[in-house]
Amino acid sequence: MTKMFTVAEMVLRDLARRRTVLGLLFLLPLGFYAARHDQTGQAIRFASLGLGWGASTAGLFSSNSAKSVEPRLRLVGYSWVTLLVGRLVALLLISWTIAAAYFLLIYFDQDIQRPGALAVMLALTAAIAVPLGMLIGALVPRDLEGTLVLIAFVGVQMAIDPAKDSAKYLPFWSSREIGTYIVDPVGDDYLQRGLQHGLGVTAGLILFAAVVTAIRLRRRKHIHVLTQPVPAGTR
Amino acid sequence: MWTSEHSGEAPDRRPQAGGHMMSPPRPVRLRATGISKKFGRRQVLSNVNFEVRAGEVAAVIGSNGAGKSTFLNICAGLISPTSGQVEVNGSVGYCPQVGGTFDFLRPSEHFVLFGRGDGLKRGVALARGNEMAALLGWSPDPKVQSRHLSGGTRQKLNVILSTLGGHDILLLDEPYQGFDRGTYTDFWEVIWRLRDSGHTIVVITHMLNAMDKVDQVLDLTPTGNERNR
Ligand SMILES: Nc1ncnc2c1ncn2[C@@H]1O[C@H](COP(=O)(O)OP(=O)(O)O)[C@@H](O)[C@H]1O
Ligand SMILES: [Mg+2]
Repeated sequence: MTKMFTVAEMVLRDLARRRTVLGLLFLLPLGFYAARHDQTGQAIRFASLGLGWGASTAGLFSSNSAKSVEPRLRLVGYSWVTLLVGRLVALLLISWTIAAAYFLLIYFDQDIQRPGALAVMLALTAAIAVPLGMLIGALVPRDLEGTLVLIAFVGVQMAIDPAKDSAKYLPFWSSREIGTYIVDPVGDDYLQRGLQHGLGVTAGLILFAAVVTAIRLRRRKHIHVLTQPVPAGTR
Repeated sequence: MWTSEHSGEAPDRRPQAGGHMMSPPRPVRLRATGISKKFGRRQVLSNVNFEVRAGEVAAVIGSNGAGKSTFLNICAGLISPTSGQVEVNGSVGYCPQVGGTFDFLRPSEHFVLFGRGDGLKRGVALARGNEMAALLGWSPDPKVQSRHLSGGTRQKLNVILSTLGGHDILLLDEPYQGFDRGTYTDFWEVIWRLRDSGHTIVVITHMLNAMDKVDQVLDLTPTGNERNR
């Protein structure tokens, strides 16, 4: 557990030093939001997509920058679970902070029927985005490829008619369902569908990222440890 | 005293007897048997055998691209060989040739991160890191991030991180690239000290002048038709 917190702490320290990145992370959803400011429903959905894009890009770059170090950390005694969860926790903290800022902005700026659902929508978007970025980071060799994949995802997500069946296969589909629930007097089924989809996508992405990480950082079969190493603290 | 390998003939890659003829045999810490590695269709290592004991320093030499880093990575368990086994008797510390640090973290944060993994408390990790840094003639600026360190200093950080946990076996991949003369001497002092306290050190090197003191040499330079790859 303390090892997990150490990983999370270092991820946060690393990100905190990249001031420009943090600034852009905060501003990106604002641009999306401002572009549709006069239509409440659209504005919310776009702010949420901006948040998702920013958070997943952060996840992508963060996991890519750790790629060369993680095998080494594995060697000094971190398990792949610790490394994955530590990074996930740190990135979620940052993304939820940004989500909270946008919740306040939208809450005071727009006429919202169901503010609770707005909070859920933003938190869920961040929760989907972080493992999405981390997964793409784990799958592609470099940042550039990952960024292109992300642009493709978010671009398609924005361009597609959300009413289409195929839209359901995109990661941020839930933001449309919950978005409708936030501004229109529709039934609870919108919220339920959105939550189910969003939580399902989050769980699936984390699972997929875990499998990829476990494979990448696996113990190699050709190594035979004859004596269990003594913990360093006692050496 | 370093043995045979440089006769100019096809190198014999069997393990050498080791330098300490007088003392009773110490336990074998690392034994690689029949290591072969192909990248695609390219054979980088073929049937390499290697054995080091406690209290020994082994040098791995060979031309650029001979497969030295590949061999060390296989010994560390970072990549898999195409065939062959590695037996490890003890814990392993590893210092990569490049990378291996976080650009935006400070040296002290690296000490904590790596030390924690090794089971050290924060304070102990910091103290050990600074102690090792002092041995290499370096006192880390508390504010500097590792991306702003000079190449040699960054490599010092890498060496320190691999020694923090006090591992039985140290695998060092060209650790002193960019070291100045003084640091180079300090580095070997640290190595000899570790050896005398029973550690096993495997170091990749081009510097033949250090060889007179190592216990054995593994030459990975390709021979005959393996050459000019
Ligand atoms: N991941 C890889 N994929 C393909 N070829 C590789 C890979 N890693 C190393 N090689 C090749 O294997 C050879 C040995 O590399 P390396 O072990 O780094 O050499 P050395 O450390 O002795 O200079 C080189 O020709 C290199 O191009
Ligand atoms: Mg090399």
